[in-house]
Amino acid sequence: MSIKLNALLNSPWLFHLSTGSCNNCDIEILDCLTPRFDIERFGMLLVGSIKHADVLLITGSGNRKSMERVKRLYEQIPKPCLVVAVGECALSRGMFIHSYNCPIPIDKVIPVDVYIPGCPPKPEAIIAGVVKLIEKVKAGTAKK
Amino acid sequence: MIYIFYFLFYGFFLTAIIGLLASWIDRKVTARIQYRVGPPLLQPLIDIVKLLGKETLIPAGSSKITFLMAPVIGFASVILVSTLLWINNINPAKSFLGDLIVVLYFLVIPSISIIMGGFASRNPLASLGASREMKLILSYELPFILVILVTVIKSGFTFKLGEILAFQAQNGALVRSWSGVLALIVAIICMQAKLALIPFDIPEAETEISGGVLIEYSGSGLAIYKLTKNMLLFTLPFFLIIIFIGGLRFDGIHLLYSVLKYIGLVALMTVIRNTNPRVRIDQAVKFFWGPMTIIAIIAVVLALLGR
Amino acid sequence: MTREEVLGDLRKKFKDDIIEVLDKSPKRVYIEIKPEAIIQVASYIFKDLKARFNTASGVDTRYHMEILYHFLIEDINLLISLRIKIQKPKLEIDSLATIFEGVNWIEREIHEILGINFKGHPDLRRLLLPDDWPDGVYPLRRDYKEWDKNAIRDRGVKCQKQ
Repeated sequence: MSIKLNALLNSPWLFHLSTGSCNNCDIEILDCLTPRFDIERFGMLLVGSIKHADVLLITGSGNRKSMERVKRLYEQIPKPCLVVAVGECALSRGMFIHSYNCPIPIDKVIPVDVYIPGCPPKPEAIIAGVVKLIEKVKAGTAKK
Repeated sequence: MIYIFYFLFYGFFLTAIIGLLASWIDRKVTARIQYRVGPPLLQPLIDIVKLLGKETLIPAGSSKITFLMAPVIGFASVILVSTLLWINNINPAKSFLGDLIVVLYFLVIPSISIIMGGFASRNPLASLGASREMKLILSYELPFILVILVTVIKSGFTFKLGEILAFQAQNGALVRSWSGVLALIVAIICMQAKLALIPFDIPEAETEISGGVLIEYSGSGLAIYKLTKNMLLFTLPFFLIIIFIGGLRFDGIHLLYSVLKYIGLVALMTVIRNTNPRVRIDQAVKFFWGPMTIIAIIAVVLALLGR
Repeated sequence: MTREEVLGDLRKKFKDDIIEVLDKSPKRVYIEIKPEAIIQVASYIFKDLKARFNTASGVDTRYHMEILYHFLIEDINLLISLRIKIQKPKLEIDSLATIFEGVNWIEREIHEILGINFKGHPDLRRLLLPDDWPDGVYPLRRDYKEWDKNAIRDRGVKCQKQ
């Protein structure tokens, strides 16, 4: 595997984006960063700016207002990048599927690489999902 | 020809390797204090290699040349300072008159390159971070220069780094006196501000202004900034060791002492970094122009009196 | 003042404006009043009884539309809900925004979601809906129809019927 891909998988920097969620998934993502489920041993850091990030963690069902912002943010993240959809609302809008404000699911707007179901998913499930994604990319079958 | 060898090897490679190692020590000790496992050994190097492989995005409307040149200017000045310090450490007879002042001037340039980069990206948050960095430089330069004066006075009013080292080789380290201790304490706190570590990491405050000064940098520009910061993590304690504690010597038992001196300073900075909250910019300015300057003036007066 | 005193006071003062009083529980009481008297009753409860305005809710039932204004008197732990029934199709009511400031945004939200016009409101523009939402379409009404042609309302999974 090339040096670029190897370095990308050994130090993925996370950026967390909420497109109108109830904040439960955000709390569980925050739990992943605490000393109990320490993810710095995988080299992951939480960064504040989208231009420093490699992995985009999306929660929340996409509102009409926030979908245009998500599109703009996806154009600003430096490629190569990975997108992770966390929680039921980010997969397919969950229970808000007939809502007037959520017309389309997120993966019709930006390409998503791994889906982590749960409402909210446990921190162990989030870590397992990210590790599965890394294994998949290493095996060469994921599209980037 | 020999100078290019010094420049590349001592200035760049050795400094970069020891700097990345120091950055790893910092992250590992932080992780241990927070009761967790830290990153593996090569993590800072992998971070920089990864950043070199990502694409560079230039914001529209920014001044392109300043945006791309700003990290390179800081990087070049750190290599120059490191080369000067290594040459003086190995062979104190090769210093020229006034190289202490040259080192002081060159050490300001990395901070100025951060300010340039912040103002060249067309972003209000970056301008906010850059203006805070300007205020921080104004505040900590004053006690820093005063305590450098202490070493100048104590080693016989000389401005050559080589003579300061020679004086310490004969008469013992400059820190073994009342004025030396006070001066070293003030210098360590000013170094904490120069490296932008907590409690003074106001320009790069991560959660407050989402990345601060470096918000628009990605790819190679960010890699050079991170590498500059890691190399400063070696260069600044090295400078303090040369003028206060007698330089690094590599013969016999002094090798162990040198390693302990350097790691002791890095560990002290890490412990201060982990046990303090971040201060506001007006609190930082009042702190450096108030108690720190008074202690520095007391140290200068004590040095003049001969203690 | 105790709960009985407050209710007796209100009944005596607004005898012909109150249509019905529903004592739901020791903490809650629903008072239905005529729509014309809303400003008098609300300003009496807010200023003289020193109640705190909590929020307002709007409901679209089959026969009429209702707005409930919830006021809280903390000393005696009582929540008074003023119910106003507005008949369709003429959906208008006086705005309370000139009396106290806290009702400004909730009236904007009820206006854009249910379509009730508040007369006298200083600034009746959109609060939550996006800018490209068509005018005249009110989402939480009973006869709201899907107007967006690009909306995807299935989960993309086809069930196998055995």
